[in-house]
Amino acid sequence: MSDMVFILGIVGLGVLLVTWVGIRGGRQASTTMEGWLVNDRQMGPWLTWFLLGTEIYTAFTFLGLAGFAYSKGGGVFYNVATNDVGYALGFMLLPAIGLLGRKFGYVTQSDFIAGRYQNEWLGIIVSFCAAIIMIAYIDLNIEGLGAVLSVLTDHRLNILSADIIGFSVLSLAVFFGGIRGNAWQSVIKDLLMFGAIAVLFFTIPYRYFGGFGDMFSQMMQKIPSHLNMPGPTHKLTLSWFWTTVILTGFGQWMWPQWFNVAFSAKGPRTLKLQAVFMPFYQLVKVAVITIGFAAVLIFATQKVGGNEVVLRLAQQIFPPWALAIFALAAVLSAIVPAGPIIMMSCTMLARNVYAKLVPQTTDRQMFNMTRWLVFVVTFAALILAVVAQSLIVTVLLVAYDFIAQLVPAVIIGGLLWRRATGAGVAAGLLVGWGLSLYFLLSHHDPVLGYNAGFVALLANCVTFFIVSLTTQPVPTSFLDEFFGAAYHRRRRQVIAAPRGALARDLPDSLKNPVS
Amino acid sequence: MSMLAWVVAVLVIIGLYTLGPAFGFNAASPAILGMPPLYFWFVLVPLLNPVILGALYLIDRAENPGDDDELSDLAE
Repeated sequence: MSDMVFILGIVGLGVLLVTWVGIRGGRQASTTMEGWLVNDRQMGPWLTWFLLGTEIYTAFTFLGLAGFAYSKGGGVFYNVATNDVGYALGFMLLPAIGLLGRKFGYVTQSDFIAGRYQNEWLGIIVSFCAAIIMIAYIDLNIEGLGAVLSVLTDHRLNILSADIIGFSVLSLAVFFGGIRGNAWQSVIKDLLMFGAIAVLFFTIPYRYFGGFGDMFSQMMQKIPSHLNMPGPTHKLTLSWFWTTVILTGFGQWMWPQWFNVAFSAKGPRTLKLQAVFMPFYQLVKVAVITIGFAAVLIFATQKVGGNEVVLRLAQQIFPPWALAIFALAAVLSAIVPAGPIIMMSCTMLARNVYAKLVPQTTDRQMFNMTRWLVFVVTFAALILAVVAQSLIVTVLLVAYDFIAQLVPAVIIGGLLWRRATGAGVAAGLLVGWGLSLYFLLSHHDPVLGYNAGFVALLANCVTFFIVSLTTQPVPTSFLDEFFGAAYHRRRRQVIAAPRGALARDLPDSLKNPVS
Repeated sequence: MSMLAWVVAVLVIIGLYTLGPAFGFNAASPAILGMPPLYFWFVLVPLLNPVILGALYLIDRAENPGDDDELSDLAE
């Protein structure tokens, strides 16, 4: 039996085992919609920390960051800053969103937006667009899986075939594995992934350079342009870095799957603890970035695809049995976090778009539609992966350009500015998404050295303010109740929502358009 | 008070990440503790952030002790 067959066999068995663990866990999952989407709002600090870590640190971290460091240099550090800025913002924003979820029975981001602006159509549009944007996130996981298979087969499997297999594995694992990866899947994936990164991080300096000091010395002497900005491409300037950190830091909680952590958590204290401890995960990213820089020296003049850097190094270093475990870690880093992302996208399309447009849809129909949409959404991601082959990090940066346009709707108008209106949000989004699309299609990113999404966000904000000030606001009585709940100072009492309550069950006065 | 502390913490963290590279750390050399300057900065700041946010957490907890209801989970 060749090494390649052995490794692929181990990876296949591992994926089947972890999927089986997910199916077993799914049997014990809550059967209510609220339990399905937000774990009955009962997630404590440890589980929240663990599952959030699992969903944020994916194939993007494992494979993508090293590739970006290898190809683009010091600009990669934007991603270390991104999450930390996001955690700091989340310290106050997420508890406020969580309290609003309890008060009004919100279980998705679009429930929140439709409720705040008293405009169901706005919720439907935002939900549809966010679900489409999330396809980019699924795409990067398919690209990660494709890269793993391509390297393991020594490129005998071309990228298209590898991506198609990646799509099949991903969609079947999510379809059969259930709605949300359970804690055991996350444990297996995290142990393997962080273990694999640690082994590579500590092995590379001693195997290739004689130690960390020698490795850094050689980097400073031989590849100085990789160690700072603008990097070897001369495009990622400091102004790009600043605007990217602001855009992605503020945009982090706009991803519906992460936004939902506010609804899932047991209470404000749980969410605030995350902000304190989540930054420790960032050191894992620094380790991966180090591997990417080292790869520039190790591969020297060899041509290596950015997404393949980590696996090519593992291939050089590890014996077949260890490489099999490493490859399994890489595959799981794509499959396990992709589950909640795919399911959230499908749920939003079924529940917040289709069921709102066709109110007589039953819960059973919605559930079935959600499951079958897994194939549709993942196939759309496959198309994107095939049509627009790119570095994993580049895919995510483009996705951030679009998802961060929700910042005015969620943060400014949703939690801070009472005068914001649904019309202002809609107009701002139209401008923001339109500009982002224009910059993307015309290859104008960065724009005069600034992140294109940031420029679009500025235009979005200006439009949002102007249109809000010239349109009819939401009634004061509702705003008093809404903002009162968001900033309620609790003294041992919890705002309780009826178990199983959903936004769709709210009184018409809270969910129907006002005007 | 806790809201003000939060705004300060957010500004400090954004400032550390964005101003560090602007004020001397966006360079390939000389080495700081054996590391390239930009690399060193991005090892240092993630270690400082839990300290900053931990201080914010303590300020907030003193002001909102009722939020501690769910902390019993930590003992599990």
